[in-house]
Amino acid sequence: MDAESQDRFREFVESRSAALLRTAVLLTGGDRHAAEDLLQNALVKAAGRWNRIDDPEAYVRRILYRQQVNRWRLKWPRREVAVAEPPERAGADTAAGAELRVVMRAALARLTPRQRSVLVLRYFEDLPEADVARILGCSVGTVRSTTHRSLARLRSLAPELAVLGPAVAEAAPSSDISPVEVRP
Amino acid sequence: MNVDQLVREALQEQAAEQGGPRGDLVGRVLAGRRRRRARTLAGAALGTVAAVAVGVTALDIGDGDKDAHPASGPRADDVIAHPDQSVPRDFVAAGNVGMAGYSVSRDVPQGNGDELLVRSYFLLNPETRKYEKADAKWAWIAVAPGMRTAAVLEGELPARRIGMLDLRTGKVTRWITPGHRVAAVEWSPDGRRLVATAYRKNPDRKVAVPGNGSVSWPKHHGSRTGYLLIEAGSGHVGPFRDVPQPTPDKHGMFPGVSRQDVHFNHDGTRLYVQQYARQGRKSYRDWYTLNGGPTSAPAAEKHAGWPKAGLSPDGTYLADDGGPNGSAIRDPRTGEQVARVPSGEQLAWADNKRLVALACDPARCTGKDEHRNRLVLVTVGSKKTVPLTAVRTAPKGYERVWTPMLTAR
Repeated sequence: MDAESQDRFREFVESRSAALLRTAVLLTGGDRHAAEDLLQNALVKAAGRWNRIDDPEAYVRRILYRQQVNRWRLKWPRREVAVAEPPERAGADTAAGAELRVVMRAALARLTPRQRSVLVLRYFEDLPEADVARILGCSVGTVRSTTHRSLARLRSLAPELAVLGPAVAEAAPSSDISPVEVRP
Repeated sequence: MNVDQLVREALQEQAAEQGGPRGDLVGRVLAGRRRRRARTLAGAALGTVAAVAVGVTALDIGDGDKDAHPASGPRADDVIAHPDQSVPRDFVAAGNVGMAGYSVSRDVPQGNGDELLVRSYFLLNPETRKYEKADAKWAWIAVAPGMRTAAVLEGELPARRIGMLDLRTGKVTRWITPGHRVAAVEWSPDGRRLVATAYRKNPDRKVAVPGNGSVSWPKHHGSRTGYLLIEAGSGHVGPFRDVPQPTPDKHGMFPGVSRQDVHFNHDGTRLYVQQYARQGRKSYRDWYTLNGGPTSAPAAEKHAGWPKAGLSPDGTYLADDGGPNGSAIRDPRTGEQVARVPSGEQLAWADNKRLVALACDPARCTGKDEHRNRLVLVTVGSKKTVPLTAVRTAPKGYERVWTPMLTAR
């Protein structure tokens, strides 16, 4: 990387790293240290292709998602993300939004990285299923079924969420239950 | 409220709580990139480009590399120990170094009275992460940082060509013919270069020399001629550099041992030949520039002696070798002892404060049983040892214990 490219790379990282780190934290279920590792790895990859990348932010985000899903698939198959405490029960006043969000956050941390990645893409990034499928390198049907299973898993992890209405994705489960296929 | 709405709100709330990344993220990324490129160059000798984890090597190449560590604390697989294995079966590692394999040597008497030292190698299979016996045709194996490539020499040394062995497939993907016969190859700390030491005769063969009357006994000889630097990525061989060994004295006695290979220093900017302690002098190093001329020791390595571990990655400490009662850690510039570690032979720095070393079994360590030892991890400023293996024993079918081959992982 020449000096000019390095300046552009530095400018990009300094301006976008906070936003990228926010996404990384969500992907790791709130594990800040793991998120910083994830982001740093993604940026190293981006630096290696810097002069060939048209949209650096989209590229880094795609690496973040794929890396997180791949890392889980390769090293810790079928393992869930461990959290120090199980989701707390919100008690009688489960209707309070703030408490429900606390419950939800703890439940999200207990999803698999693949499940969490799909939910972050769908509900935080607000991407349509086709775009999620393209980023993760899988079929639209897989995105749909993973979303459905992830929401169901949240409900099973946190019974307090029973007061909530079903999501659109839960109303029409897909019959496509093929495993997520991710290409590095 | 629907469950998906709550997911959205919870994610947004969590994201909003996050500050920016800590420290100099750009510096860490660019340093990690340089390191990765160095590894890739080593891998490029195989025609492969493999993904490399960030911050797994502790090599100082230039500005910024000192900050090239993982974004968060120790790696998840920081210490991989098998304290129940007296002959390693499964991958052993600590900090930035891993055991790429081990060797076992034996002396084989020859019909003409010579004595040949033969090494058997056991290498890590990257797929199974177990050690397996390497092909017996390899007389010398040097595993590159990253543990994906090894440089190999075949047949009786010195060899005419250097092979680049892909450790995943066990296949040689390139042969390099340096134009001089070589009996040792060593990787530079960044994995970009090899230094090959050239000899006229096999330095592992002690030659029978007629003694008084008809008695012969095998002796060391000095046949080193010089060295060559080789670019691992391109296979380009640099010019031959003349560094002969001393000639025999007037009685025909060679002062030293046959094998005196050329090594890279701490940061790969200079070369040295280790000289044994003799005539009241401690072991020391003869220094050379990369261009072949004699030079002085780098300021931080002028007190470096025999221990292979040498200078810590950040240059703060210099490892010395001791004995069964422990070893000194020195200030590299003054040579003064600044700490002690409870190990006898320091092999490699796992990071800036931890060393992979050999230490005698504390249950039997009475100050004289130093050769009954195991691979351990010790920390400067601590008396604690972390066993990485059981006390070393000879592999089945061999008489001698194994010698670890450590490299950056």
